[in-house]
Amino acid sequence: MFILTKFADLVQISPEDFSKHSIVAIEDNINAKYANKVVQKIGLCISLFDVLWTSEGLIGHGTGLVNVNGTVTLLVSAAIQHAYMTIVEFRMIVFRPFKGEVMLGRIRSSTPSGIHLRTDFFDDIFVPYEELPQGAEYNHSEQIWIWNFDEERLFYDNHEMVRFQVIDEEWHDQTPVGPTQAEDTPAKTPYKIKGSMAAEGLGVCLWWDGA
Amino acid sequence: MKVIEAQAAVLTNYEVLQHLTQQKERYKQRKRRGPPNLETVVRELIQYLQSYPNPLSQKPSTYAPDCISRLLERLSPYELSKGEVVMILNLRPASVAALNTVIEEMAERFSDEQQEEMVAIISEVLGQFDAAQGNANDTGDATEANAS
Repeated sequence: MFILTKFADLVQISPEDFSKHSIVAIEDNINAKYANKVVQKIGLCISLFDVLWTSEGLIGHGTGLVNVNGTVTLLVSAAIQHAYMTIVEFRMIVFRPFKGEVMLGRIRSSTPSGIHLRTDFFDDIFVPYEELPQGAEYNHSEQIWIWNFDEERLFYDNHEMVRFQVIDEEWHDQTPVGPTQAEDTPAKTPYKIKGSMAAEGLGVCLWWDGA
Repeated sequence: MKVIEAQAAVLTNYEVLQHLTQQKERYKQRKRRGPPNLETVVRELIQYLQSYPNPLSQKPSTYAPDCISRLLERLSPYELSKGEVVMILNLRPASVAALNTVIEEMAERFSDEQQEEMVAIISEVLGQFDAAQGNANDTGDATEANAS
């Protein structure tokens, strides 16, 4: 479900953070930029794992650069508001389940086209109707799916914990494309997982674990 | 931003939870907080990992730092793929039926006895829910005595 991804990025630390230890300032800076955000074709970033390497810190004044050693205090006391920059190589914990992975989720809502699932931290999981087991039918009055199995009616109730298998993923880059884009097009979710609950043992956990 | 290596390693849920709880402890000690977006995702993720039937929801935890290497060693004769072992660590299948969902073409690859053996190894190394776990917190000393 989780992987480590190695990134390199320019980190800019603003003067109000000069009181922090550099490593703490760098950590906060990276987390503020990445945590809970989707990087295209990588996954949902969770948290910084570790810092592998950082360059010497440099202070930009105008376009020039000044080495950070001993200069920080000088610049701050002179109240010149320049950030200091450093290049950091680090590893992030990223949520990116692999194709075929089985994981747990909860039913969020059901429509005739399928079942929407969520986890506490990730909402965009969809199981289309053709990935439900044979004998599944949609009940329009209650708006839930029901699996008819051996004369029994098993319900895919909302908020029920289910096991599902990841079968596909969808990425939508949210970078603005310019004026050609119609203004009222709703933003597509950046990362969407397509799941299946057709195989034996998948579906509502209670069905399989309860007995 | 530059991606140097898209997938440097795979982490199990246990390792992720370890990292996040240690990070939380560290913040607490220094009496500081992370950025709000980090706090949100960490809180939600810990909640996910610690809700039943996730095996990490069990208290006291049956996972220990060495359980990953122990499980790898015990399951090595069955030549499972890396992904299959990761799923076993994350989901801790407690029956042949549950194991069937994480192992591809299990019936063709393994005999019935081998399947039972694997389930036994998993519950031995990673533990299992007490029978009464389903209805929450009434797992007292009585059930522990039964288990041993």
